[in-house]
Amino acid sequence: MKNDGRKIYTVSELNREIRVVMEDTWPDIWLEGEVSNFRAYPSGHWYFSLKDQDAQISAVMFAGVNRLLKFAIEDGGKIIVRGRVSAYAKRGEYQFIALVAEPSGKGALQLAFEQLKAKLDKEGLFDQSRKKPIPMLPQRIGVITSPAGAAIRDILSVISRRFANVSVLLYPVRVQGDEAKYDITAAINYFNKHCPEIDVLLVGRGGGSYEDLWAFNEEIVARAIADSRIPIISCVGHEVDFTIADFVADLRAATPSAAAELVVRNKTELTERVDNLKHSLVRTIRHQLEVYEHVVAHATRSRFLQDPLAVFESRMQDIDTLMHSLSSRAANILESSRHAVSVASEKLHVLSPLSTLQRGYAICWKLPERTIVTDEKCVQRGDEIDVKVARGSFKTRVM
Amino acid sequence: MVKPQKFESALKRLEEIVATMESGDLELDKSLALFEEGVKLVRFCSGKLDEAKKKVEILVDKKGTMVAEPFAVDTHSSQDDAE
Repeated sequence: MKNDGRKIYTVSELNREIRVVMEDTWPDIWLEGEVSNFRAYPSGHWYFSLKDQDAQISAVMFAGVNRLLKFAIEDGGKIIVRGRVSAYAKRGEYQFIALVAEPSGKGALQLAFEQLKAKLDKEGLFDQSRKKPIPMLPQRIGVITSPAGAAIRDILSVISRRFANVSVLLYPVRVQGDEAKYDITAAINYFNKHCPEIDVLLVGRGGGSYEDLWAFNEEIVARAIADSRIPIISCVGHEVDFTIADFVADLRAATPSAAAELVVRNKTELTERVDNLKHSLVRTIRHQLEVYEHVVAHATRSRFLQDPLAVFESRMQDIDTLMHSLSSRAANILESSRHAVSVASEKLHVLSPLSTLQRGYAICWKLPERTIVTDEKCVQRGDEIDVKVARGSFKTRVM
Repeated sequence: MVKPQKFESALKRLEEIVATMESGDLELDKSLALFEEGVKLVRFCSGKLDEAKKKVEILVDKKGTMVAEPFAVDTHSSQDDAE
């Protein structure tokens, strides 16, 4: 204090006092506003502004508490926070330190559900194409649920009623509370890693409140289901409850009993089907054999097969007939040829010069050329002529 | 994991065979070959249906290792899932 009696503050002093006044005046209040300028630092602390139409205030939510939030704080989101007003003395700035936050207008859980659902849907985790088929005849069924609840009791009762011979392995887990999600995830991973004989997993629990079922809306559970090599049927709560696990699973059942029904085909149904196929098989082959028998019997009744020689015999006969007709035709041809020849030779005989000679005619050749004389002008006195008569020939001179 | 798939594919093949044979138009030796295959499949499927043994077990944590032990539902306690 200076001599003149005025109280003169240092900046630090004032800021310190402001801080105390603020913390004393608003030590624990609820504040509602719209989030803007949201920044998450590597330290894990969140810095943002909360505003309404006319004003804004800086806010911080430290890592220790924001980690517990089920939903994400985003720019534009309307929230209600609980905390205290404080001042950052060094800079003379005041701010709101939030300890708890909830979405205003909607439940925190509801918002968290919607945010996660949108996120995983976008990643394609709900796609129909990712879903694996459930085996028709499972050898061993894995169940992930509470060992003491209604779910396992219902599942086992359905299985023993419908398909007595199937084997079940239960991995007991907590199905509500904050630790449940770790149990469920560990169970899914265990079955995938250590149980190659397990064909299908049933994951679920009996009915409960929205909060009770929350473990099945957790991201790590959803991812474990998505990554599972073994097909998973989800069966959480009652008919109307839909959890994130239900969207990611390969199949969703409305209740644990329904899940057991789905997984375990009625044994008699399948046995009947195989039986019907067996009868059809036998019936068709028998029918076909009968048809063939008929064809073979018909064939053996044919003339050829019964008396093969008969056919040959009749063929032989045909050949004989042919031969006969051939030879008679040949004989006819010969006969008519002979006739023709004799007629021709008759004619020849008449026309032959020999028969002319016998009638007294002679043939004259002029010598030495030996040309036949038909004209008196062709000869002159002194020419030598060779005369042929019916019997013999002689020479003569023309006078 | 191989077994259940084998049952389903065996059943499917069996149905295929019956459908083919029923459609007629097969030569006898082809029919006989299919019939033989079908009979083998019927035997296989029937065998699988009768095969599985009933066993209900629970995994118990024994010092870090999970061990399967017989499990029977406690029918007298009708607790709902509360933990």
